[in-house]
This record gives sequence, structure tokens and C-alpha cells, in this order.
Amino acid sequence: MPDPDVLIVGAGPSGAVTAKRLAEDGFKVTVLEQGDWPDYGRARAPHPDYELTSGQYWAWDPNVRRGPGDYPIDESESDIIALMWNGVGGGTVVFAAHWQRNMPSDFCVRTLDGVGDDWPLSYEELEPYYVRVERDWGVSGLANDTAFPPGEGPPMAPVPLAPMGRRVARAHNELGWHWWPAPNAIATRSYGALKPCVQRATCLWACADGAKASVDRTYWPANTSNGVELITRARVRRLLVRADGLVDGAEYLDADGREHVQRAPVTILCANGIGTPRLLLLSDDGGLANSSGLVGKRLMLHPFGTVTGLFDEQLESWQGVWGQHIHSLEFYETDEARGFVRGAKWGLQPTGGPLSMTRPYPWGAENAVWGEGFHRELRRRLGHSAMWGIIAEDLPEESNLVALDPEARDDYGIPGAKVVYTNSENSQRMMAFHQERAKESLLAAGAYDVIVAPFIDATGWHILGTCKMGDDPASSVVDPWGRTHDVPNLYVFDGSTWPTSSGMNPTATIAAMALRFTEHLIEQRRDQKGPG
Amino acid sequence: MSQGALDRETLAGLADVLIPAADGMPAASEAGATREWLDEVLRVREDLESPLRGLLERARGADPAGEVERLEREEPEAFEALSTAVAGAYFLNPEVRGLIGYPGQEARPIEPEDPPDYERDGLLASVVERGPIFRPTPESRTG
Repeated sequence: MPDPDVLIVGAGPSGAVTAKRLAEDGFKVTVLEQGDWPDYGRARAPHPDYELTSGQYWAWDPNVRRGPGDYPIDESESDIIALMWNGVGGGTVVFAAHWQRNMPSDFCVRTLDGVGDDWPLSYEELEPYYVRVERDWGVSGLANDTAFPPGEGPPMAPVPLAPMGRRVARAHNELGWHWWPAPNAIATRSYGALKPCVQRATCLWACADGAKASVDRTYWPANTSNGVELITRARVRRLLVRADGLVDGAEYLDADGREHVQRAPVTILCANGIGTPRLLLLSDDGGLANSSGLVGKRLMLHPFGTVTGLFDEQLESWQGVWGQHIHSLEFYETDEARGFVRGAKWGLQPTGGPLSMTRPYPWGAENAVWGEGFHRELRRRLGHSAMWGIIAEDLPEESNLVALDPEARDDYGIPGAKVVYTNSENSQRMMAFHQERAKESLLAAGAYDVIVAPFIDATGWHILGTCKMGDDPASSVVDPWGRTHDVPNLYVFDGSTWPTSSGMNPTATIAAMALRFTEHLIEQRRDQKGPG
Repeated sequence: MSQGALDRETLAGLADVLIPAADGMPAASEAGATREWLDEVLRVREDLESPLRGLLERARGADPAGEVERLEREEPEAFEALSTAVAGAYFLNPEVRGLIGYPGQEARPIEPEDPPDYERDGLLASVVERGPIFRPTPESRTG
């Protein structure tokens, strides 16, 4: 087989978008994915044992799941556990499909709020790419949300508000607070490879009904039909570095541990905010593309909180989308009078079936159901509850980082990752403020009781910032187009590049950025340096 | 899996502390949550059997209420296994699901509405009337 034009590491969202666009322009693309295709035969949503089984094969924590694509992550020094899906589709297989564009202020945090860093582009520059990936992806929502500049919206109508959404929407109208029919990567009608959603509210444990736009469904089958070579169970051990400093592809191990070399003139890392710095740190005897010393640093994980309201009304809140029915960005922008900078996004979600009503999260161990009051408490919660999920922006700090684990190794002897992360004072104040406002929201909506979930660590779905993008090679790892400052034929196109984290679910922006990066790479192809 | 070796009598004692008969609902053991529905749980969650077997050995002969309290306080992982197995089995019973009004995660296709309810009844109008709530990109960065 001749070498490809481009090698991509990772078949998650950024790898999917990148491979698609390159193949459309005639590039020969090979993708190395350490995991396998998801087995939807194990998505049990239609079955009575769904709540018992969903957290096994579809577990979000790789240290729990220990799937074929996983590697160990030491989180003993982290306040938040990193969650991911290592396989074709990446995190989109188990994501909640909240499709949130960043707001204009997210791109200029330094200019507006004097913290973090500005992105080297504006919302307006990224907006056309949002529109295009929303069409490619299959996104539902309603245009002209007042929290964003007006413009073209997603291609499908939004999911229904559901009884819970209507209640809270009415309350926000009375309070004068923002809400909007939520954007989701969920099909509300037949759309390409997607079937219309049937509202089982099981999105977080893979969609058994083929309605959630995860890229294993929306991109990879089409990509492979379009000539992209996707090699699964291919665990990259290191990138190959030539004497002249250029990268010459990667060395990887197959499922049987056999060593292979895949050479390519251009290599793009799309392995997520932990996998990408891990690979760079594994390469070139201690760190590739790291003259800034920032590879792995500035990790941001989005502290997460929930506030649940209990209602007399039967809301059937085990059904719907999970997913979000409405979102609110009322308190997203900075107001320094609150005692912190930046803000958080709220998404209104279901609360699950009966077994979920008995768990310590989000109900709190002090509110345990067991014993005499079991049946009363179950009836209070099941179907009668709605939950705001709150995603808080955390600011970049070099002390929050990903490093190689000096001890633990994966099944193939490759060092695992170690995460060091402290939930900052600013983040804690922000979360406390938002939880209070979310309580007010649900009480105004008619809740007779509200429960603030205890802080738990297993919420690190969004892994960002560990290969910062910027103009200055001394203070960033990649340039504004995702090319590493140090190695002109090595790129990073995933969420590692984010200078700040926003307070949004990041997939929309990861996808839009990947498309923008890719088109610039295509435009610059004649000037691209590479081996040979 | 040697189901016969599981001490179901001890388990029934613990299970009924967790889920007693009350409010017109059966206790866990009455609902088969320590028998046939538990077998079903252990068929799909083999990981629960070992901790369950261990905690039952330690609980044999003890006061069930005191043992549940002790497990919750001193052995959170064992308590998690016990409560998951018992409640999981309880909610597999179709009669229990009927009594609590839970049909499972049903397929409920989205009925397209044109116009949607929030436009028909003006629910969204006040949000629109309020206007933009975002801070625009500063002129210094719009190039």
C-alpha cells in the first residue's frame, strides 16, 4: 500500500470532520483508531435491564470500562475524573448531544474580562463553519437564539420542550430570564444516516435507535466509502521523528501487539485533550512539539453541577431526550459583582428511570431512599422531577495538567496518563452562584422541593486546552491553524487547542474548528513541508 | 455461577430493610427481588455476585437492620452492590413496574408540529422581545 497523504490519529469528532473534508478534496487519508466500532447490540434502552446494564459496556470512565481502546489514567491528584470513549466515534458515542456553539465573548476572554487568553479568531469567523458542520452532523435546534448573533440555524426543528421544558420556560418568562428550545445533535426527522428520535432519554449510554448524531454513524461509514482507510485497534506508541525534525507518521501496535509503521507526509492528532498530549510526550524522547513547555498543561475539564426540582405534576421525566429540552444562558456572561468571572450554561434534562431514583447522585446520600420511606420517596422522584445540568467555565492554569504516568502502563506496555487538576476558587464560586439561581428557576417553575447534587468527580466529559493555540511559539503549542509551531508537518485539530474552555459543551466548536483547520491545510497544500 | 450457594434467606432480610412493604407496595422479597428477578440481575451483572456473596457471608445471623446500617456506613462498595442488586431486581418485576407507573423507556416518536407549541401560544415571544443577551465581539477584534 502506498503511504497516505495524511495520517490522522483518532476517529472521534475532530478526526471524522477532518477525514471527511480531506477525502472530499482527493487526499488519501489513513486513520489510526486505538479502539473498535461501538457494538450497538449492547445498547439496551428498549429492554427492562437497561438501567442495570447501561453503565457497563457504555461506562464513561475508561478506568472502569477497560475496553480494548482504553489506557490507564491516574487521577489520584485530580478533583475531576476524565471521561471518554476510546473507539470509532470517540466521545460522541456516549455524549449527551448538547450542541452548543460558543458565544462571541468566549473568543475574547482576555480582552473582555482580563483573564485567560483570547482565541486567534472571532465568533464571526467561525460562524460559517458552525453552519456547515451542523448540516453535515445532523443537528436540531431553532435559529436566532438571543444568546447568539442572528444567523442560520441547524437544519432540523428542535426537540419538543416536553412538559418539564414548558414549565421552566414559563417560569423564566416571569423571571425575565433567557431560555431557548435547545440545540441537540439529535435527529427530529429522518436525516441522512439518522433516524428520528423516539425520546427514550438514553442518549448518554449510546443511542439504540440511531437518532443521536454520533460520528460513528454520521461520518465514518461515509468516510470509508469515500476512500478513507480506517484502521481500528491500532494503538499508536509514538510518532516517528526524522533527523530534520519533521514527523514521518507513527508507530503503532495492532490488537495482537504486532508492531507496524504508518508513514505519511502530514500527521494530524485528533486523540482528545489527554490522548493528544500523551502521544506528544511519548514521542521524540520526552516530548515532541514542546519548546513552549505547554504540552499537557492548561488542562480544563468543566466542573459540572446539577440542581433537581420535584414537582406535583406527572412529567414522565424518564422520557424525552438526554439531550436537553431547553437551555438557558441567562448567567453566562461575566458580572464581577457575583464574585467570579465568566459563567455557565444550563441544560434542562430528564432524571431517569426508577433505579436512577435510588442512586446517591444527583439526589445526595443524605436523601437516601432506603427503608420505611422508600416507596413514598420513589413516587416523589420518578416522573416528577426535572434537572438543570450546569457546565461551568474553568480558566486555564498551568498547574492543571496531563503528564505521562511514571508507573502505570496499558496492556501493550505504553505509559498511561496522569491528570493533575484542582477545581479553582473561581469555579467553585461560579458553581455555587449558578446552583442558587437554578434553584430559583425550578422553584419559580412550581417545584415544591429542590435538590443540589453533591460535588462528584466523575464529570470530566470535556477535556480541553492541553496544546494551546496561539500566535506566539513561546506561549502556545500550535498556531492559529492547528499546526505545531515546532514541527511544520504535525497538526493538532482536537479540543486540546482551546486557549480557554468556554462554558459550553464543546463538540460543536471542536467540529467547526476541525473543519476550519482542515480547509486551511488544504489551501496551503502547495507550501506544506513534509518528508521526501 | 452456583446460584444455590447464595444465602437467600439472609439476603431477604437485608433486602426487606431496604425495600419494606408499605404504601400498597410489596417488600423486596415478596416481589421476587431475592429470587427469580435477582437471578435475572446476576445474569446481566455478573460483577455483582462476588460482592453480594461476600457481604451475605458476613451478614449471616446478624440483625438485618443493623447490618444494612453498618454496610452503608463502613462498606460503601458492598452497600452499592447490595442496593443495586436488590432495587435492580425489584424494578425488573412487571407487577412492580405497573404499580409505580413505569412502562420502561418507551419509543415515543416525535410528532412534528407546525408551528410548534411555543410559537402557537407565544411562549417564546417574550424572550425574543427582550433582544440579544450576549456581549458582541469587540470592535478591536472584528478586523
